[in-house]
Amino acid sequence: MTQIQPNTNSVQATTEDYAILATDVHKWYSNHFHVLRGVSLSVRRGEVVVIMGPSGSGKSTFIRTFNALEEFQQGSIIIDGINLSHDLKNIEEIRKEVGMVFQQFNLFPHLSILQNVTLAPIWVRRWPQAKAEEVALQLLERVGILEQAKKYPGQLSGGQQQRVAIARALAMQPKIMLFDEPTSALDPEMVREVLDVMRTLAQSGMTMVCVTHEVGFAREVADRIVLMADGLLVEEGTPEEFFNNPQEERTQKFLSQIL
Amino acid sequence: MLKRLISWAFTVAKWNVIPANLPLFFVGRFPSDQYWRLWVILGMIAILSGMTWGFLARNSTTLFDKKSLITIGFLGVLAVITPVPIVFRFLLVGLLLLLVAEAWGGKIVGNYVPLIGKWLPFSWFLLLIICVWLIGGGLGLKVVQTNLWGGLMLTLLMSIVSILLSFPLGIILALGRQSSLPIIRILSTIYIEVIRGLPLITILFMGQVLLPLFLPDQVRPDRVLRAIIGLTMFSSAYLAENIRGGLQAIPTGQTEAAKALGLNTPLTIGLIILPQALKISIPAIVGQFISLFQDTTLLSIVGLVELLGMSRSILANPKFLGRYLEVYLFIGILYWIFCYGMSVASQKLEKQLNTEHK
Repeated sequence: MTQIQPNTNSVQATTEDYAILATDVHKWYSNHFHVLRGVSLSVRRGEVVVIMGPSGSGKSTFIRTFNALEEFQQGSIIIDGINLSHDLKNIEEIRKEVGMVFQQFNLFPHLSILQNVTLAPIWVRRWPQAKAEEVALQLLERVGILEQAKKYPGQLSGGQQQRVAIARALAMQPKIMLFDEPTSALDPEMVREVLDVMRTLAQSGMTMVCVTHEVGFAREVADRIVLMADGLLVEEGTPEEFFNNPQEERTQKFLSQIL
Repeated sequence: MLKRLISWAFTVAKWNVIPANLPLFFVGRFPSDQYWRLWVILGMIAILSGMTWGFLARNSTTLFDKKSLITIGFLGVLAVITPVPIVFRFLLVGLLLLLVAEAWGGKIVGNYVPLIGKWLPFSWFLLLIICVWLIGGGLGLKVVQTNLWGGLMLTLLMSIVSILLSFPLGIILALGRQSSLPIIRILSTIYIEVIRGLPLITILFMGQVLLPLFLPDQVRPDRVLRAIIGLTMFSSAYLAENIRGGLQAIPTGQTEAAKALGLNTPLTIGLIILPQALKISIPAIVGQFISLFQDTTLLSIVGLVELLGMSRSILANPKFLGRYLEVYLFIGILYWIFCYGMSVASQKLEKQLNTEHK
C-alpha cells in the first residue's frame, strides 16, 4: 500500500496554502484498537475532498480529529495554520473556524430553527442578536428553510433538518466545512435536497471534507477523492482517476461493490 | 365504604373542631395582633399570582374561560362561607377580587410591555424575602420568635424555601457526579450515596437534637433554619439522581454538535444539555418536591408545630379529645390540595415545554 504524504518539503511555506494538513495521524481506542494507523492528508484552501471507504475504515474518526471531537495519540494536525495540540484554547479557536455536519443532524430539539442557527454566533462570536438573526435568515433562505424559521426541529423532515444543520454550521462563517455522512440517515427522496445545498456550497469556494457514499456527488463535486480502508489511506486521485482508473486492488474491490 | 364515610361525615362527625381552631391550623400561635402582616403577605401573593396568570395568558383570547370562572366562583363561595369573623371574610373576598383584577391588568400590561416577563421571577423571589421579613419581624416590626411560627404557614414556608434551595444544589450535585474531575465526582457521589442511605428522620434528629449539643450556644442556628437545612440536604441528593437520569438521556450528539460550534463546556451544559435534561426530569423533580412537601410532617416528631404538629396539639386539647378523624381528614385535604396543585402545574409546564410534536 502506498502512503500518501503531503508535500512536506517545507512545512512553513505550505501551511499557508493548506487549510488542513494532517501528518501521520495515529489513534488507538481505549481498548487498544488501532483505528487510525498513520493517516496523512492535505487539503488546500477551496478544495473539496471526498473520503470514501467501507464502514469501520476509520473515515469518520479521521475527520472528527480535525475539530478535536476525537483525540489522536501520534502525528500532527494543522488546521488553518493552528496546530491542533491539546491546548484547550487552540481547540476552541479551531472549532470556531471549522463547521461540522453530522449524520444524525444533531439539531437542538429544545430550540427553534432560528435559535439553533443563531446560538453559536451570539454566544461564541458575541454578535448582537439582530445581526445574528439577519445572517441566520439569509442562510435559511439559502438552504430553502426560511418559512420554517419559527418551528422546532421535531416538526421538520430529515432533509429539512439536515439543511438547517448546514445553515447552523455556516452561521459561524467557518473557513472549513466537515461533512460526516450527511445523507446516510436520510430517506432516499430527501438525499437530493441536501446534496444540492452541498453542491452550491462547494461552488462558492468553501473548503470541504466530506465522508460520503454518494458516488454521483463525489464524481461531480470533488476535486479529489481518497479511499480509506482499515485505518489507512489507500488511494487518492481526481474523480476521473479514482473511478475510471483505480491503481490499488483494494480500491477496485471497493468500487466493484458500490458501483 | 364511601357510603359509610359520607353518613359518618354528616351524622357522627363533630366538625366544630375545625372552625374553632382555624387560625391554629393556618398560622399556629402567631400573635393575633400581628395578623395584619400575614394579610399583607396574602395580598401581595394575590397581586403577583394575578399578574403572572394574566401575563402567561396574554396571548389567549379569553382570560376567564369556563374552567377558571368555575374555580373563581368556587373560591368566592368558599370565602363567604368560611367560618371566620366577618372582617376576614371580606378580606378573603377582597383577595379574590385583587387576584382577578390583577390577572386582567397583567394581560393588558403583558401585551404592551412583554419585558415585564423578565421581572416576574425576580418579583417572586423578592416577595419570598419580604414574606420571611413580615413573618419574622425585625427592621421596625415586632419580632415574632420562630417557636410561634406554625401550622400551614410553617409547612409552606419550610417546603418552599427547601425546594428553592435544593433545586440548584441538586443540579450542581448531578453535574458534579458526571464531572471529569475525579475529586468533584467522588465528593458528589459520596454525598449523594451517604444521604440516600439515611432516613430523613435521622437527618432531622441530627439537626434538631445532636447539632445543638456540639455547637456552642452563640452559633446555634434557629430550629426552623436547621429543619430547612436538613430537608434541603436530603432532598438535593434525591434531586441530583433524578437530574442525572435526565442528563444521561441526552444523546452525545448534542454535546458534539455544541462543541463543534465552538461552545465551551459551561455554555454547552447551560444552553444545550441542562435545559433538555431538566425538561425530561420534570415529572421526577416535581415528584421529589411533592414528597419533600409531605416529608415536612416528620418535623412534628422533632417538635416543630407545622400543620401536622399543630393538629396533634389541637387534639391534645381536652375540649377536642378524640376528634382524630375530623382533624386528620381536614389536614389530609389541605395537603392534597397543595400536592395536586404542584402536580397540575408540572403537567402544564411539561406541555408548554414540549417542542417535539406541537
